Amino acid sequence: MISIKSLSKTYKSNGHVVNALNHLDLEIGGGMFGLLGPNGAGKTTLMRILAGIVNASNGSVKINGNDLATDNGKTAVKSILGYLPQELGMYPELSARQFVDYMAILKGLDDPSHRKLQVDKVLEMVGLLAEADRKIKGFSGGMKRRVGIAQALVNNPKLLIVDEPTAGLDPEERIRFRNLLVTLASDRTVLLSTHIVEDIGQTCRDLAVLSHGQVLFRGSPSELTQNANGHVWLYTTDSMEKPNHNLTVVSMLHLTEGIQYRLVGESAGDYPDAKQVQAGLEDGYVWLMKSAGQSVDAM
Amino acid sequence: MKQDSLKYTFKTYRLDHLYLPAAFLALFMIICMFRLEPDDLFDMSRAYLGAVIPLVGGIMASYAILDDPALELRFGTPARAEHLLVERLGLIFLIQVMCATIFQVFVTTIGADLSPLGSFWRIQLAWFIPTISLMSLGCLGSLISAQTMTGTFLTSLIWLIELLARGWLACNSGKYFLVFMGALMADHPDLTANQITLTVLTFLFLIFSWLLLRKQEQYI
Repeated sequence: MISIKSLSKTYKSNGHVVNALNHLDLEIGGGMFGLLGPNGAGKTTLMRILAGIVNASNGSVKINGNDLATDNGKTAVKSILGYLPQELGMYPELSARQFVDYMAILKGLDDPSHRKLQVDKVLEMVGLLAEADRKIKGFSGGMKRRVGIAQALVNNPKLLIVDEPTAGLDPEERIRFRNLLVTLASDRTVLLSTHIVEDIGQTCRDLAVLSHGQVLFRGSPSELTQNANGHVWLYTTDSMEKPNHNLTVVSMLHLTEGIQYRLVGESAGDYPDAKQVQAGLEDGYVWLMKSAGQSVDAM
Repeated sequence: MKQDSLKYTFKTYRLDHLYLPAAFLALFMIICMFRLEPDDLFDMSRAYLGAVIPLVGGIMASYAILDDPALELRFGTPARAEHLLVERLGLIFLIQVMCATIFQVFVTTIGADLSPLGSFWRIQLAWFIPTISLMSLGCLGSLISAQTMTGTFLTSLIWLIELLARGWLACNSGKYFLVFMGALMADHPDLTANQITLTVLTFLFLIFSWLLLRKQEQYI
């Protein structure tokens, strides 16, 4: 459905040329597709190009055969698109129902009776029907995100692009949101961009990891996880000194016998007491980034 | 523009942006109430209509597009650039029309004679032409730089320079670009040419604004 060929995007920032995307190739079919990567990897730029908002510097993007380099192609894609940007701006004085209704008008839903049905339907889908007539300015962050997804769905899009949708949500909201996206992906393409590994693991069968504007990995979450098997250890010590020797600390846990570190790296030979364990998706991601020479020493 | 879309154009407009035109309207109405000499009343009236309304319109137009909090969401819809331009500038223009109408009714009621500006339509052109000129300039300025402040600054600067140098401008080629001519030099022989030039410039500015607005990525 989505065909991206040798896509590049450069722009100027403070006098410097930034390569946000660098000859990126990707084919995306139906269902839920995850786009993972650190901040600055080019995820948002790619999402904006796919939404027809940003123009590519080089390469081609086709969605359902519509070329995004042309005005007609962009218009055709936007008419089947639902888009939830990372920074979600709304009109605070409108109610949720009015906001979604307004976006429906902008998306070309001209028939008032059909539009009303559609607005109520999507507000119900996101669990906001009871709050539909409250002004958005009184909503929590999670409720605003739900309004955002409702406006994205109001034209029954064939392609749904959601950029960092769970940022700032509490755990309950995140789970609810993830489940909603999976449900929606049953009959459309949903593109989920995030830097939260867990969100991808819980929702996507297919994913790509982006780094420095290039695809570092393309496959399933289990394949990404398997790549890290043999490279993950648990090491418990009472020393306050963090393990090093080219190992990345993925997590730390304070136990009665000391601090338990979860380590990812080529070898833990310098720590004979370290026990090799089964890798998880987060380990797979860290190992991938480490193998590619990316710094992942967050802890 | 469709009726439902128009409804939301009003509903999404930030009410605090109305303070500026409302404050100037109230200020000039109060001044006019206390300046009861006919000449003073006429001067205040043409100053408001021909100079203040265009300035306020230009400043408001600088904020018309880029101040929209849901701009990225709008860009993700098939709605066209001209739709956004007409919707936002149209509303600001409507506010200026209301201010001009209310003010004219008010000053006429308290005895002002605006006939030195010409016929009824000449009086309307005296504020209409500079208003659309400065509005299109403010909009273009903010879109060129992707900064609302630039549009405001550009509009205010042109307004101030033309106001201070109006005598000099009226004597040379600058007369075609003098936005205040209809209000301050209503008997100038080149008034019609001036108004045609400003109208053409307005269309050019709007076309450039439309072309810029099609390049959505600069504004998110």
